[in-house]
Amino acid sequence: MNLFHEELRERLAAEYVLGTLGGGARRRFDALLPAHPALRQAVAAWEKRLLPMALKVEPVQPAARVWPGIESKLGWSPAAPAASTRLRFWQAFAAAATVAAVVLGTTMRTAPAGAPMIVVLHATQGSETLVAGLSPDHRQLAIQPLQKVALTPDRSLELWALKKDGPPASLGLIAADKLTAVNQHALPKDTKGLAVSLEPLGGSPTGAPTGPVLFVGELTL
Amino acid sequence: MTAAVLKSADELETRLADWLARCALGDRQAFRQLYEATSPRLLGVVAQLVGRGALAEDLLQDVYVRIWKAAGQYRAGAGSPMAWMAATARYRAIDHLRSRGARPEVAIADLPVHAGSDDDDDPTHRLADPGPGPATRFEARSESEAVQGCLGTLQGSQQQSISLAYYQGLSHGEIAAHLGAPLGSVKTWVRRGLIALKACLERCGWSGAAS
Repeated sequence: MNLFHEELRERLAAEYVLGTLGGGARRRFDALLPAHPALRQAVAAWEKRLLPMALKVEPVQPAARVWPGIESKLGWSPAAPAASTRLRFWQAFAAAATVAAVVLGTTMRTAPAGAPMIVVLHATQGSETLVAGLSPDHRQLAIQPLQKVALTPDRSLELWALKKDGPPASLGLIAADKLTAVNQHALPKDTKGLAVSLEPLGGSPTGAPTGPVLFVGELTL
Repeated sequence: MTAAVLKSADELETRLADWLARCALGDRQAFRQLYEATSPRLLGVVAQLVGRGALAEDLLQDVYVRIWKAAGQYRAGAGSPMAWMAATARYRAIDHLRSRGARPEVAIADLPVHAGSDDDDDPTHRLADPGPGPATRFEARSESEAVQGCLGTLQGSQQQSISLAYYQGLSHGEIAAHLGAPLGSVKTWVRRGLIALKACLERCGWSGAAS
């Protein structure tokens, strides 16, 4: 196949997108695509040309089971045995109580009275846990990893307030191996959870999370 | 199509490109939003080819796994995100049809109808391919109208072959069997039909190239 011949390239791309390029030819074409920008461009142009045909097809609402299936195929939702989940929860709860005590005892001497809120942040992948203690007025927060979070020297962990509406708000960088007190920021009023993302050293350059979200926890007691 | 609808279609493409960029960075929340916004459309595309039901939904899961994994390779500005995702859905369904060899019965009545379609009732028209029909000029206010209009200008057997391939995922051989036409004729109809479709779209100012 001389793919530098434009006419042949066009014909193969068109029949690939239409689906009539079949069998071995289709597999060879698939294999050639990554190394041939002109071929990819011809394919993208045909995909765009034929898109209006796809948009004429009636949409079908997927069943609720489809999304969890995708997560499971991506290895995101390992079905952990109930016992170990419960154990992890109590370990996290005990640690959270400690963190809360630290928050109350050290960083919140001037905080109004009341029980601190405990937020447990679970790893989106894996079993590590972070715990955070939040002062009753939501103005002071301490967060600590239960296990040291593996981090390359060129990366930072950044803490985010997840709001009911709007983009996450940065609460600053946190340590991967010890307690970090965050008392410079007031949490946004409609904060519904906390998340920690992996960012370039020094934090997100854009003001929004750019790296994968490593830990997520909901703001419920 | 009204300007408002066009604008919202453009807005959707912009949002999709943004979500895909975030997916490439590992943002699962963006992936979920992308799924919510596009899954009914993509399931429609898959179900059109393999029929509705659990199989279509299983294939849809594969489609989104592919989209997540390839989001990094998809470059903004390389084309239309919706076109790329719809094509990814079609490819998965077509792979399935080719690998199983089994396929649902094809009913021509199920094929979406394109404006300007000329009937090709005379069976002798199916055996000869006189090439592209007369170049019909028409005003197309959107790419969708242009594609429909251009499909309508194709010779009947070309149009029918392309529709069977696109909407039913039929191979050359299956189209030939379905139309009772020689394989060579079907290959010619598909090839010339695609060339004529592209030429017509270019005449209308819709080249399909990345803008």
